[in-house]
Amino acid sequence: MTRQTRTARRAVFVPALGILCGLVLVLSPGLHAAPPESAGVTVPGQRSDIHLVSPVPDGTWTLPAGDMANTRYSPLDDINTTNVTKLTPVKIFADGIPHGHEGQPLVVNNTLYMVTPFPNYLIAFDLTKPGFPMKWKYEPHPDPRSVGKACCDTVNRGASYADGKIVYATLDDNVVAVDADKGTEIWRTPVGEVSKGETETMAPLIVKHVVIVGISGGELGTHGRVTALNLDNGQVMWRAYNTGPDKDCLIGPDFHPYYAKDQGRDLGVSTWPPDAWKIGGGPVWGWISYDPQLNLIYYGTGNPGPWNPDQRPGANKWTCTIWARDPETGQAKWAFQIVPHDAWDYDEIMENILVDMNWEGKPRKLLLHPARSGFMMVFDRQTGQLLSAKAFEPVNWASGFDLKTGEPDVDSSKVTHTGVFARDACPSSTGAKEFVPSAFSPKTGLLYIPAHNTCMDREGLKANYIQGTPYVGADVNMYPGPDGYQGELIAWDVEHAKKVWSIKDAVLPVYSGVLATGGDLVFYGTLEGEFRAVDAHTGKVLWQFKTGSGIVGDPITFKGPDAKQYVAIYSGVGGWMGAVAFPSISLDDPTAALGVVGAMKPIKQLTAPGGALYIFGLP
Amino acid sequence: MRRLLLTIFAVLVPLGLLACSGRSANSADPPAPPMSGTGNVGIPVGPIPGPGQPAALPSNPYADNPVAIQDGRRLFLWYNCAGCHGGHAGGGMGPSLRDKDWIYGGDPAHIFDSILEGRAHGMPAWGTKIPEDQIWKLVAYIKSLRTPQEPDPPVAPPEPKTRTVHEPPQ
Repeated sequence: MTRQTRTARRAVFVPALGILCGLVLVLSPGLHAAPPESAGVTVPGQRSDIHLVSPVPDGTWTLPAGDMANTRYSPLDDINTTNVTKLTPVKIFADGIPHGHEGQPLVVNNTLYMVTPFPNYLIAFDLTKPGFPMKWKYEPHPDPRSVGKACCDTVNRGASYADGKIVYATLDDNVVAVDADKGTEIWRTPVGEVSKGETETMAPLIVKHVVIVGISGGELGTHGRVTALNLDNGQVMWRAYNTGPDKDCLIGPDFHPYYAKDQGRDLGVSTWPPDAWKIGGGPVWGWISYDPQLNLIYYGTGNPGPWNPDQRPGANKWTCTIWARDPETGQAKWAFQIVPHDAWDYDEIMENILVDMNWEGKPRKLLLHPARSGFMMVFDRQTGQLLSAKAFEPVNWASGFDLKTGEPDVDSSKVTHTGVFARDACPSSTGAKEFVPSAFSPKTGLLYIPAHNTCMDREGLKANYIQGTPYVGADVNMYPGPDGYQGELIAWDVEHAKKVWSIKDAVLPVYSGVLATGGDLVFYGTLEGEFRAVDAHTGKVLWQFKTGSGIVGDPITFKGPDAKQYVAIYSGVGGWMGAVAFPSISLDDPTAALGVVGAMKPIKQLTAPGGALYIFGLP
Repeated sequence: MRRLLLTIFAVLVPLGLLACSGRSANSADPPAPPMSGTGNVGIPVGPIPGPGQPAALPSNPYADNPVAIQDGRRLFLWYNCAGCHGGHAGGGMGPSLRDKDWIYGGDPAHIFDSILEGRAHGMPAWGTKIPEDQIWKLVAYIKSLRTPQEPDPPVAPPEPKTRTVHEPPQ
């Protein structure tokens, strides 16, 4: 089913040399444009020119990505390339929920916390006892009507921990804070309305005492935004919309976008037909990053609505955009719209990985955004300047980006119009990658990207806005992209903007998140349900285990109270593409499930729904 | 023709409702304990408890009417049914309507009720917005799926022949 391509073999860096170089840089602040404390986070064996922006997990896993910078890197190395073949399941817990198990567990205070898809249970497991038994289960009882408003399965992408609280969002738009010890609810705050087609699927990020969370519903005419809540009591601190006037978008005197295309007053209104911005989508349902030195959060916004672009002439700001904001006031610092006037459903809610490393020979504060639209985008995260945009999968909606203007060079024949099919547009609406997060290893300097290769035919249809129903307006048929593969785990050399190795999947996309570890391992899962450990340098699959269902979750690693390293992953197929495995979707309608059926037909024979938590360890 | 159908519809629906509310009062069984809520069930989805047969369900005045089926297809797109149930009702946010499985009953009257009253997991109560006449046309379209009468049936996209693809760098 899989085929391995190794295009290069990286040399293994001598750890001692790396540490020495790191020390030299720490002691030579003059070499850095960055504040001196930025070199404070070091991990064993890291490349000398690479500096982590925030502390990486030290055996716990308290944030969705493990750290604030979204590296999904753990320095733990007890499990490594020499012994990973002995990895074996030590706990399997089936939760009985036959829907997509996206996201990842948390581990803190000798407890593992699992958030399930709707009905969004929070289950705590005691890691101090043999077999890791359940400690308690918190049931938030979300409104079942939210099930039918969720565009892409009733998923949940996890929780954040701080100050004794597990904080997560329920499908019916409530953010809950649960006592991490007792499993009792501390506060609950509604941040959206199911009747307006709004749902919650993302994992909030906690920065200082601020809980930051978006809203889902780009296919239901929602008004995309981010809401910030006080961690102590759940009270709303600020709310920043993604469309509308500057005051609603929290655009003020601090806002300094790098490019002229993103400069001007009230662009969130003037780049839309009258009032269309009020139902123009631009949701936030992916991942949020935070840079403690710059004190800025970063996140991307989703697609504009409806999908038919003829109904919304203009650039449709601030959809498909990356924001940089102050976490305490919400005030925008910069913005970069990646896809103006989107005609393909290229939500740009992908992870933004923050890392300080050499760029063209000089240390630079980078933001890495492997874009749904197919380009590996590298930004200067202080200014929002685009430094590079290279395709990592087959792309033809644009030939590239003009680094001087920040504008994509769009192929107009790939733009859908009312009653007109745009044929063979690549990537498809599901992107060259989905929300599934990449991992970055400071040891290898490689970004490990879970990617897709699908294309589509797309016709614009007149969409009617009826509150609480889909506002789509497109007929979409997706199918596998060129070159005979559909999924790919890519090891990407950031500095040289090229693939180093990749593992291809012939028939299914890669729809799981990735974890990189100090043991020179990369963990990820396949839609068939194989959970894999791969050599981070060469891409060689060293170990795999067939779980009960397709994997759409994100691996984590932690240390138990017994001081042993463990790796955890959810199994349980679902999500937008994975939902084709469900019996409720018929294969003879290529437009079913918003057009993904044509690309996903084999999945019904390769896996079936059923959610479970798997924890692996060495014997 | 349409006026005639509407007249038939106007007669049939109340008749159907009357038929449904009829009880088997002449049973020789001992009297059942009093139950609250009896007499309110219009179109039962569940089995009928105790003795007695379910009354005949109202039929669709537009059944097998090709014009109404075509209208139903148009309404299926117009009211955003396609957004949840798929462009040709193959499913998505809501379940497939092309398959043989019906959560709330597959009889035309059951489908009519599901549209009219909505269902617990997100199906809107369309009776608040869509005239009953149009709901019956939607039912006629839904019942035509996977039959020779299905208008605008799904077609698999043609095999792509040529593509301009910018290769990723190696």
